[in-house]
Amino acid sequence: MFEKILIANRGEIAVRVICACKDLGIRTVAIYSEADRHSLHTRFADEAICVGPAKSSRSYLDIHAVMSAAEITNCDAVHPGYGFLSENAGFAEVCETSRLKFIGPPAEVIRRMGLKQIARAAMEENGVPILPGSLGILKSPEEAVEIAERIGYPVMLKASAGGGGRGMRVVRQPEEMGPLMAQAQAEAAAAFSSGDLYMEKLVENPRHIEFQVLADQHGDVEILGERECSIQRRHQKLIEESPSTAMTPELRQCTADRLRAAMKAVGYANAGTVEFLMDASGKLYFIEVNARIQVEHPVTEMVTGVDLVKSQILIAGGKRLDEILTRPVVLRGHAIECRINAEHPETFVPSPGTITGLNLPGGAGIRVDTAAYQDGVISPYYDSLVAKLIAYGSDRAEAIARMQRALGMFVVEGIYTSIPLHQRILKHADFVSGKIDTGFLSRHGFLADKK
Amino acid sequence: MAGVMTIEEIRELLDLFNASGVGELEIEREGVRIRIRKAGATSEYTVSPAAETVPPRETAPEKASESEPGHTLVKSPIVGTYYDAASPGSAPFVNVGDAVETGQVLCIIESMKLMNEIEAEIAGVVAAKLVENGRPVEYGEALFSIRPR
Repeated sequence: MFEKILIANRGEIAVRVICACKDLGIRTVAIYSEADRHSLHTRFADEAICVGPAKSSRSYLDIHAVMSAAEITNCDAVHPGYGFLSENAGFAEVCETSRLKFIGPPAEVIRRMGLKQIARAAMEENGVPILPGSLGILKSPEEAVEIAERIGYPVMLKASAGGGGRGMRVVRQPEEMGPLMAQAQAEAAAAFSSGDLYMEKLVENPRHIEFQVLADQHGDVEILGERECSIQRRHQKLIEESPSTAMTPELRQCTADRLRAAMKAVGYANAGTVEFLMDASGKLYFIEVNARIQVEHPVTEMVTGVDLVKSQILIAGGKRLDEILTRPVVLRGHAIECRINAEHPETFVPSPGTITGLNLPGGAGIRVDTAAYQDGVISPYYDSLVAKLIAYGSDRAEAIARMQRALGMFVVEGIYTSIPLHQRILKHADFVSGKIDTGFLSRHGFLADKK
Repeated sequence: MAGVMTIEEIRELLDLFNASGVGELEIEREGVRIRIRKAGATSEYTVSPAAETVPPRETAPEKASESEPGHTLVKSPIVGTYYDAASPGSAPFVNVGDAVETGQVLCIIESMKLMNEIEAEIAGVVAAKLVENGRPVEYGEALFSIRPR
C-alpha cells in the first residue's frame, strides 16, 4: 500500500481524500495556491506545499508544479479529486511515466472515454442505450425527415463544426424540417464556415440519472446503483439523491448488467460515473462517462455502505474488488445531498467573503463534507461550494425530514448561501412526490433570471 | 479591583484576546493569574495551559516571509529543489556580500529533472542566503535577501 499520497486538489474534496488516507494510515501531502494558504485541507495534511499563485492555471492546473511537489515530498501516489487535473489524460500519463501512481483510470481509458464517439460506440456495442442520432452529416431535408421518423420527434439539428447554440434548431414536425434546416445551415455556415448539420433526439426536460462504477485493476467491474441529479441550474447540480424515484428494480438491474459489460470492454479501472438522460416515458439514453470520483459520491456511500474514496486508493494499490466490496451491492435506505454554495439564494450572485459565524448541523442521519471553518475565507478564485450536506434515512420521507432539520440548523454568517433555496425546494410538493426533472427550478419560479 | 475576576471580566478579556493577533497572554492581578494561549488555527482558548487541539503538522524550518526594511526578497517562482551552484562541488553562484546585476544567475531550482536558472530582478548586494543547498522549496519561498543599489 502507498506510504504517501499527494492530493492534487483543494477544498472539501481534498479534506475528503485526507480522511480516507487517515483511515488507511497513509501520510498525506496537500498542495495549495497562495489564496488557499489558510485552507482547512493544508492543516490536516501531514505536509503542505505552496505550488503557485491564486490563478488555477498556475497552481492546481499546473502539471509541473504538482509533479514537483510530489517529487520533493517523495510521494508514491497522487489523488486528483474531481475537476482540475482529474480527467486530464496527459497528467495521468506524466504520472505513469514518473512512476507516481495516479489514483484513477489508466491514462488511455481517460482519453478514450473523453471522446464522445468512442464512448458512445463502446456503450452501443454492449447494449447500453444511447441518444439516437444521424450517423453522419445530413445530406438533404428528405433524408433528415427519414432519420427523424426513425428517431422520433422532437429532434435537434446541430452544427457539426461548432456549438454554443449556433446552427441549432429544434424540429417538432416533418413540415418544419426544410425551412429549419435551411436556417440552421445558413447560421452554421456564417459562424463556423461550414453548413454541415447532424441530428440528435431531443429529450425535453429530462431527468438526469447516473450510475456509479467501481472497477479494480484486474478486470472486475461493479455498479453501485444510481443517483438522480435532476435539480440543476444552468447544468450545475444543486441536489442529488440515491436511489432515483424514477428507477425500477428491473431497469436498474438491466442497465447495471450492460454497463458492467461495457466498462469491462473498455478496460475501465477505479471509480467512474456513467451519465444518462431519462425521458418522460422512463427510457434511458447514455450521454457521457465521467472518469473520476464525483462531487455527489456521498449519497452512494450512504446507501451502499461503501467508502468510494478509500476504495479508489485500495484499487490503485492493487486490491481486488472482492477484498473491498461485499456482493451483491444492495441499496438500503435513501440519501439526499444539498450543495451549499456561497451565493445569494434568489439572485445567485456569488458571495465570496469571510465566514464570521458557523454552526454545522449533526444528529441522526446527517453528514457534512466541508472545508469551511469559522473565520475561514471563501475566495472568489475557485468554485463557490461551501459544504455538502447529506441526509440519510430509511426511506425518502425520512431523508427529506432530516435534511430540512439540518438545513434549519446550518448557520453560516458573513456570506450568503443557497440554504434558503434548498429549504424552499425540499418543501415543494413536486419535489416531495418525486416529480422532478432538469426543468424543475425554472418551471417552479426558483430562477429569477429565467435561465 | 481586589479579588477574583468576574465572569464578565474574563469574557471581555477573552473577546479582546480573541480579536487580537496575540498568541499567548498571561496577566496577574491582585493575586489572580490567568494565562491564555491560542492553539493552532481555531480560536480555542482555555484558562489553563492550553491543550493542542489542531494536530501538529511537520513544520519546516523557520522560513523568512518578510524582508528587513530596505531589502528585497528573491522568492522562488516554482516548486523544486534549490541548488546554490551549477554542479556539485563547484563554487556557488553568489555568496553573501557579492554584488549582483539584474539578470545575473543566483541559483538553480531543479524541477522534474529540469534545471531552472533563477535570475536577479534587481541590482544590489546579496545580504543573505536563506535556503540550504539541496533543500526543497515551494512556490513563493524566500531564497535571497538583496540590498538594492
